[in-house]
Amino acid sequence: MKRTFCLMAALVCALTLFSVPALCEEVIETEDTIFTIVTAPEQTAAQRPPCFPDPTAEYIPLPDTENIAQGKPVLSGAHTDVYVSSNVNDGKTDTYWESKGWPAEMTIDLQGSFTVSTVAVCLNPSSIWEPRIQEIAVQVSTDGENFVQVTPPEKYQFDAAFGNRIRIDFSPVEAAWVKVIFTLNSSSRTGGAQAAEICVY
Amino acid sequence: MKSKAVLACLLALCLLSAGVPFARAQQPKTLITLYEGPKTMTSSETARVTVNGRELFVYDVMVNHEHIWNANTLPSYTPMTYFDFEGEARIRVEMPGLEKKVESAGVLPGSFGITPAVQDGAVSFTITQPGQYTVIFNGSVNKALHIFANPLEKDIPDPDDPDVFYIGPGEWTMDAIALKDNQTLYISGGAVLHSIVSVAGARNVRILGRGIIDGSDYPAWNQPGSYARVPIDLNHAKDVTVDGIILANSNCWNLNSFSSSGVTINNVKIISGRQNGDGFTFQSCTDHTVTDCFARTWDDSLVIKNYAGSTKGITFRGIQIWTDLAQSMEIGYETDKGLTLDPEIRDVLFENITVLYNFHKPVISIHNSDDAYVHDIVYRNIVVENAFMQGDNGFNKELIEMTLQNSSWSTVRDEFGSIDSVLIDGLTVINTLNGKVPASRLSGVGKDNRITNVTFRNISILGRPITSLKELKLSVDDYCDGITIE
Repeated sequence: MKRTFCLMAALVCALTLFSVPALCEEVIETEDTIFTIVTAPEQTAAQRPPCFPDPTAEYIPLPDTENIAQGKPVLSGAHTDVYVSSNVNDGKTDTYWESKGWPAEMTIDLQGSFTVSTVAVCLNPSSIWEPRIQEIAVQVSTDGENFVQVTPPEKYQFDAAFGNRIRIDFSPVEAAWVKVIFTLNSSSRTGGAQAAEICVY
Repeated sequence: MKSKAVLACLLALCLLSAGVPFARAQQPKTLITLYEGPKTMTSSETARVTVNGRELFVYDVMVNHEHIWNANTLPSYTPMTYFDFEGEARIRVEMPGLEKKVESAGVLPGSFGITPAVQDGAVSFTITQPGQYTVIFNGSVNKALHIFANPLEKDIPDPDDPDVFYIGPGEWTMDAIALKDNQTLYISGGAVLHSIVSVAGARNVRILGRGIIDGSDYPAWNQPGSYARVPIDLNHAKDVTVDGIILANSNCWNLNSFSSSGVTINNVKIISGRQNGDGFTFQSCTDHTVTDCFARTWDDSLVIKNYAGSTKGITFRGIQIWTDLAQSMEIGYETDKGLTLDPEIRDVLFENITVLYNFHKPVISIHNSDDAYVHDIVYRNIVVENAFMQGDNGFNKELIEMTLQNSSWSTVRDEFGSIDSVLIDGLTVINTLNGKVPASRLSGVGKDNRITNVTFRNISILGRPITSLKELKLSVDDYCDGITIE
């Protein structure tokens, strides 16, 4: 003797999947057992959990032009542990550069002269990177020796809610080298500057 | 007519009253909650499992049968399934994935006293208590089936609560989840969550459910381009509860707690098969209680270290362990990695621990490899069903090992600490690798750095009571005092 109760129709489950994530259950009773079967939603691939909306819409936008820093030669002082300078423009935000102490300078050789107007500094956008402040200045050079400051040291807030990245805009200027100078990082986990990517536009 | 009606009523009453005792004598029905697997995944082809006639979704999870460190090791897979119940659960297992037909089977822990029936290659047995059950086939640990029979779930968080992140059944993925003060993450049974969960500097946080946090999307942490993605990472957290979930296929260690306090962990099941896949690993923590958990690990199963301060008040109670690599219950090696003043590890209790298998290094170990004062450590009612320690190149295959030597994990190399007041009360070893009593070892390092006041009580190995240090095969060097057996 078997009785079946469907507490929620599959249609209701599908409709509610992305609004109220209640369990869809089916109850089946046999002679000696009452089964509660928690049913799975229709999926064709792993999805982002509905209770964690995609945050990328809130990310600080970057210029849609080419990032001319990516893959170019970089020069910096000592780094911490395995967080080498080449991580800073490898195109991946899950690797990062971390300086060993202060001040921390990262110079990017653009391998040619460009008109630049934006520098972006990105950390890993993962929410496990807690908010922090870094103080950053930007200088440019056309010969690799004489640098001109285009933005003074300013404190920038990094927050995963906004992509853990900041954008420094300035008046367009000719540059073949860009130097990004870090003088503070509020994170208690490090004694140096951190950047997963430094982008130049 | 009236009298006939009264008679009929009386007759009906008699029949009803006669039926009452019968109804009262009926067994209450068993309650079972089953969880469909995600529609994106298929149930294991290795094992088919039913409970009271209904099929369970079986997951293949990473384990590792290589019992020596290999930085580039590759895991193998074993079946795992779970459900919740109250009452009587009749389990039936078929193993189409085994090369040989199942001729014999065992259900672990042996202390449960379950003798399964084997008929036509199918294994059947009945359980009446929630717990973790492991079935081995044909006398081999290959494709051992882990069955996590949970108690029925109570107090499921309200999905409408703004402080609750409610993850329902299905397959889900996101980079990471960072929980803040007063938040609850609920991972439903039937959910497979490819992510990691971090509790950094937060308090009053809960991680609950029956589902799986899965790390199979990530390469082993030590491989080029990869990094450690710790399934649950508590860092300077306070008042945290973790209950009911499964951690599988981690690309590194599993439930990590660093400089945290007030942590309660219950009914958490860990299975790991990759590099540095430690189980419950706590560094410089206070007031942690771990109960009714399971850890099958490819590195230390239960671990206490000091990374940035001292450790105090850690309890492991009612834990099942399967150690494929390294130690089962390890204190050390790092006992002062943070170079703190007067580091201590104190007030640690391991109680009602069942080691299903240890294939590699000591079951009970205190490796004080820095300069900490390690004291008031109690091991009570420890059962080792299979003490198969093969060690590394002939070393580290002791049953019990306590040392004060430097090691490759030492931070403090020119100073040493001490070990004092250790009680092992109730240690039963059922099987050993060669049918002999395995050796044990205590070793200090100098007259000021000693191991003192270690008491062994109620020790039984291979069915024989052990009443002398000689019978225990315990080597004690000149820097140990007050080593007694009762």
